[in-house]
Amino acid sequence: MTAFHRLRNYGTLALMVCMLLTGCKPKNEAAGSTAKATSADGGPPKIAIIVSTLNNPWFVVLANTARDRAKELGYDATVFDSQNDPAKEATNFENTLASGYKVILLNPTDAQGSIANVRKAKAAGVPVFCIDREIDATDAATSQILSDNYSGCVALGQYFVKQIGEQGTYVELLGIVGDNNTWNRSKGFHSVVDRYPGLKMVAQQSADFDRAKALEVLEPILQAHPDINAVFCGNDAMAMGAYQALLAAGKADTIKVFGFDGADDVVKLIAEGKITATGMQFPKLMARTAAEDADKYIKGERNFPQKAPVGVELVTRDNVTKFGDYGRKADTQ
Amino acid sequence: MNDSRWKSWLPRTGCLLGLVVVFWWAPPFHIVELNGVQQAHPAFDAVAFVDKFWFGRLAQSLDRATDAVVLEKAIRTDSKAAREKYGRVAGLGGDYYFFVAGEGRVVSVNQHEIALSLDADSSSTDVILETGNIFGNAVRDGTRLLNVSDFADSQDFNAISSEINRRIEEQVLPNLRAKAVVGAIVHFAGCAEVADEGTDLHPLLVVPVSAVVR
Repeated sequence: MTAFHRLRNYGTLALMVCMLLTGCKPKNEAAGSTAKATSADGGPPKIAIIVSTLNNPWFVVLANTARDRAKELGYDATVFDSQNDPAKEATNFENTLASGYKVILLNPTDAQGSIANVRKAKAAGVPVFCIDREIDATDAATSQILSDNYSGCVALGQYFVKQIGEQGTYVELLGIVGDNNTWNRSKGFHSVVDRYPGLKMVAQQSADFDRAKALEVLEPILQAHPDINAVFCGNDAMAMGAYQALLAAGKADTIKVFGFDGADDVVKLIAEGKITATGMQFPKLMARTAAEDADKYIKGERNFPQKAPVGVELVTRDNVTKFGDYGRKADTQ
Repeated sequence: MNDSRWKSWLPRTGCLLGLVVVFWWAPPFHIVELNGVQQAHPAFDAVAFVDKFWFGRLAQSLDRATDAVVLEKAIRTDSKAAREKYGRVAGLGGDYYFFVAGEGRVVSVNQHEIALSLDADSSSTDVILETGNIFGNAVRDGTRLLNVSDFADSQDFNAISSEINRRIEEQVLPNLRAKAVVGAIVHFAGCAEVADEGTDLHPLLVVPVSAVVR
């Protein structure tokens, strides 16, 4: 081996180590957040918004709305991205607890895995308000403001049967399997669709609520089952990925896509008749309520419901004009 | 194999073995069956829970349901005021529910519905009893007897809905469908789920939890 080759190999190795170390470094502050993790003494109380991922526009809306409402109420608010990784979420909790945050608004990464973090905050006297995703405990968080995913998907399931009929085949793309929302959505949908024996699910796979993964997962399924009638997706990011896969396969006009979330891009495609339906989850309403609850807590209120379900509304081509900007147009929820 | 070739392969083999050991010790991913994930979820016995609920708190609360004639009159007068006085909102926004009981005369019957008139001298439909597949959370959320905050995992709470609906289909509807012919009198109790503020509440769509036909 020449000296040049040796140097090149060492260089490559060093680069890889640097990349690994950079990748492992916690990414604490999201783009667009204005408050620093530590504020000067005597400044406004600090509120942390720890969100499961910012790699999905829906969660960016959730996090930024909570941050902006907290700021309107006079707080120093910062968004932390857990990148769908419970370990990063734990690091975010450690950092916020060490930095004097008064309240944590949490969109958890895992219904079970996040409980320990919430308990740690509670032990440190820092209340946690969960938003959108729940933790499987009723004695840890101060309150949990959650979409009624099950009911939303019962309505979607009923509309699915109306659109597809009582005979047909379909694929289901699930979200993150450790998240209760994944199963509440799936079970709500199946509580209806499974009552029609002529409707057969030919494949059920997780795409982790991720658009790129949905595309990746659906492509081989479409090769194996080219004649399906529909794809039911556990969120709108996956619905967008599924729609992309159908476009590439030249089947976007014949296979119906159903999503869940009420993301703006999906609402627009429903208006254009390209996606069939979604469930509007009102992320802005949930985020604002959480920030306002945090404000009430800081001001002395202690009486919060452990779980506050937020209604989900079916969005179809018939009523799509009522919706936009992650809510209803009329009341801008 | 000559000496230089052996020397070049040795570190590569070492690295490979090292990687095998590292991945064995800390695998970068796990393959888990979806069914396995659900089975790992601690079992909640929805059947046993609903059995106790059905014969206990629900049975004892039927006489506390809003009188159907009173509710119908209130809805006709001012549906918003009726919602505030008699309705139940389970959380923030979204659906609301009525828990209602009364007596009506069957005015029509079809595959999935039985239409009742609350007025003995009228043939107008005031209440429709749903008799097809029962979906959703009308009874779980409409009776005010169950609260999601009492359940650590909302999947358990949702399983209660499925079981209540199954029980209605198995224990309430067959007898109702068999006996409710036009002209028969039905004494009923049940819940109505209203999904939208603009929904026409006349007639009121009710999921029956109890129905006696005479």
